Amino acid sequence: MIRKEEETHQTMDEAAILARTRAYVHDTFLYMRPGFSLGDQDRLLQRGVIDSMGVMELIAFLRSEFGVVVADDDITESNLGTLADIARYVRAHSNGNGRKAAENGAAGAAA
Amino acid sequence: MCGIAGIARRNRGSDAHLTRAVSVDALHRMAGALRHRGPDGSGHYVDGRVGLAHVRLSIIDVAGGAQPLGNEDGSVLIVYNGEVYNYLELREQLARAGHRFRTRCDTEVLVHAYEQWGTAMLSRLNGQFAFAIYDRNTDTIFLARDRFGVRPLFYSLSGGDLVFASEAKALFASGEVAPELDPVGLDQVFTFWAARPPRTVFRGVSQLEPGTCAVWTGGDGLLRHARYYELEYPEAREESADALRDLGDLLDSSVALRLRSDVPVGGYLSGGLDSSITCGLAAKGSPFSLRTFSVTFDDPRLDESEFQRLVANQLRSRHQIQSIGPADVAAVFPDVVRHTETPLLRTAPAPMYLLARLAREHDIKVVLTGEGSDELFLGYDLFKETAVRLFCLRQPASPARPRLFERLYPYLDPRGRRGDFWRHAFLDAGAPDDPLFSHLPRFLLTSRIKDFYSADLRSALAGRDALEDLREALPREFMRWSPLNRAAYLEMVTLLSPYLLSSQGDRMSLAHGVEARYPFLDTRVFEFAARLPTGSKLRGLKEKAILRRWARVAGVVPPAVQQRTKQPYRAPDVPPFFTGSSPDYVQELLDESHLARTGLFEPAAVAGLVRRCRAGTAMGFRESQALVGILSTELWYKQFINDARPLARPAELSRLHQVPAAL
Repeated sequence: MIRKEEETHQTMDEAAILARTRAYVHDTFLYMRPGFSLGDQDRLLQRGVIDSMGVMELIAFLRSEFGVVVADDDITESNLGTLADIARYVRAHSNGNGRKAAENGAAGAAA
Repeated sequence: MCGIAGIARRNRGSDAHLTRAVSVDALHRMAGALRHRGPDGSGHYVDGRVGLAHVRLSIIDVAGGAQPLGNEDGSVLIVYNGEVYNYLELREQLARAGHRFRTRCDTEVLVHAYEQWGTAMLSRLNGQFAFAIYDRNTDTIFLARDRFGVRPLFYSLSGGDLVFASEAKALFASGEVAPELDPVGLDQVFTFWAARPPRTVFRGVSQLEPGTCAVWTGGDGLLRHARYYELEYPEAREESADALRDLGDLLDSSVALRLRSDVPVGGYLSGGLDSSITCGLAAKGSPFSLRTFSVTFDDPRLDESEFQRLVANQLRSRHQIQSIGPADVAAVFPDVVRHTETPLLRTAPAPMYLLARLAREHDIKVVLTGEGSDELFLGYDLFKETAVRLFCLRQPASPARPRLFERLYPYLDPRGRRGDFWRHAFLDAGAPDDPLFSHLPRFLLTSRIKDFYSADLRSALAGRDALEDLREALPREFMRWSPLNRAAYLEMVTLLSPYLLSSQGDRMSLAHGVEARYPFLDTRVFEFAARLPTGSKLRGLKEKAILRRWARVAGVVPPAVQQRTKQPYRAPDVPPFFTGSSPDYVQELLDESHLARTGLFEPAAVAGLVRRCRAGTAMGFRESQALVGILSTELWYKQFINDARPLARPAELSRLHQVPAAL
């Protein structure tokens, strides 16, 4: 997947982030379990999708794909525990989006 | 060290004409398949229904120790692989009881010990051994294996006929046993790293359990098993005042016994505490300069050469180094699997294979190693992990306690060793009342390879649960032991014995005719460690505490090594197969059509793994163990099942000659 950086970072809404992350997680962590059904609210760790080494890889993906640098203290289950959590976190930390956007994003995901 | 083999047919009485005589050819083929274990000589005995074969690596009584070896009248014959270190003391006792000896070797001591004490002889042996004693008076064959499973013994019993050998390949070479996959054995490998004795990955092939013996009777063709040694943990409340002195005396004695040899003894040196102790004591006990051998890795994260040099300098040993890069692992890996006779989850046996070759090139055929210490004195991070998990689960609300997990596995990427995901992998893995509590994180991680199973393999395993089978096989007292002693026991029986001592031990060193000896796996050292309070071994999060205290006082190990944190021995897993151009066998065996023919793994899933290995993104344990597991299974399948050739090559046969059984 090659796309222009600015397009990626500025125009992506949370649904698109979610879709792309979902595809990535399937490609990376679930390619050997094609029948596995993963809901957006499913806990990635508890369902055996990802382990802490996998989280490192996920973080590298978030950086290269969305330009989001995950601080060490942000590596928590509330930020990265589910696909939906990840999309919300990325949306909140993408270029040009401050804390307000994060709150809106969270509200949007809940709706 | 040696290889043994035999065929024994049931006595069919009046239907005796239906019994085929044991053929010398079959014995030659079996011996030929074991030639690497005993390049110094070979012999056989055949007597209608029963035949024995032996290949010899001469270490004690080089001139006089040919086998099979009999008693005075030839009615009791032995084929024997191993060393009984207290043979001189036993010989003295037996001589006092009137037994006459023709040789100086330990083999003959066992024959007379059997005559004197029968199968009860086993409790008197301190050593590493597997043997078969044919008693013509009773028409029985007595098979036995040492307490910890240092030496192997495989067998197959079919229609009352017994075939046995040091390695499974000799059973297949006999023409009596056909190699077939046992899916349950394979599933155990993908849970525990090795099949659990008595099971193997071959259907119809068993291995004698460590610490057990079995008697086959020609009259009924039955094999009756008995356990003569059980691991026990009678933990003391307090460390005795003499503990340090006792430990020192035991280690001195254990090493001294293992220096009994008519050929020079060398040492493997990892740079860690344990092998520094064994080499240090060996150097002290020898008038000559010790020869030491080490593996070094191109990858600085795996390399320990700085500490190896430090120890070698202090010992003034003549030190040889085998440096290992990915290409070296790739080059020998098919041979490694042929020798281990089982799929593997790590490439770690490959450097041990090359190290044994190096020792042999320097004319060393006996080496001491530090193996066993981590199991006895709680050296592995798994034990700390168990302690921290218990500590956290006692107060689940504590925010501070889980931070201790960050101190585990210091050799892994530090960014992956913190935070919720790291903690929860441990805290969610199981409850303390589960007998397998300590090992569930490892067993569950290993079991992720099963995601790659084909539908056929899944259905062959339907209803089987490797973990439940293990829970049911635990000794009765198991839950009365402390959680850390339970962990130590599980480590001994699931990993040390069937994997470390076999795939990284016996098979790799004897691939090159090198015998490894294990001072920490002396029965007395084990029993000493099992009686210690846990706090003497794991003190806070400091592993092998008592051993370090002793090493400081004894001064056999440089100070920097005394306090060094345990470094696990690891070899590169993915790079050998995907750096630059992959070896031909990788391309061939992981090809989708090949995988489909073997039928064990889902080709599309493996294609995904290969894609990620090629891209260099398969970095974690999950994928590295899957790659090595799948590739080694395919190598194993190709060499043992597909290419099964019942006949050994003529070149291997021509060097065999017959030795009269009873001189």
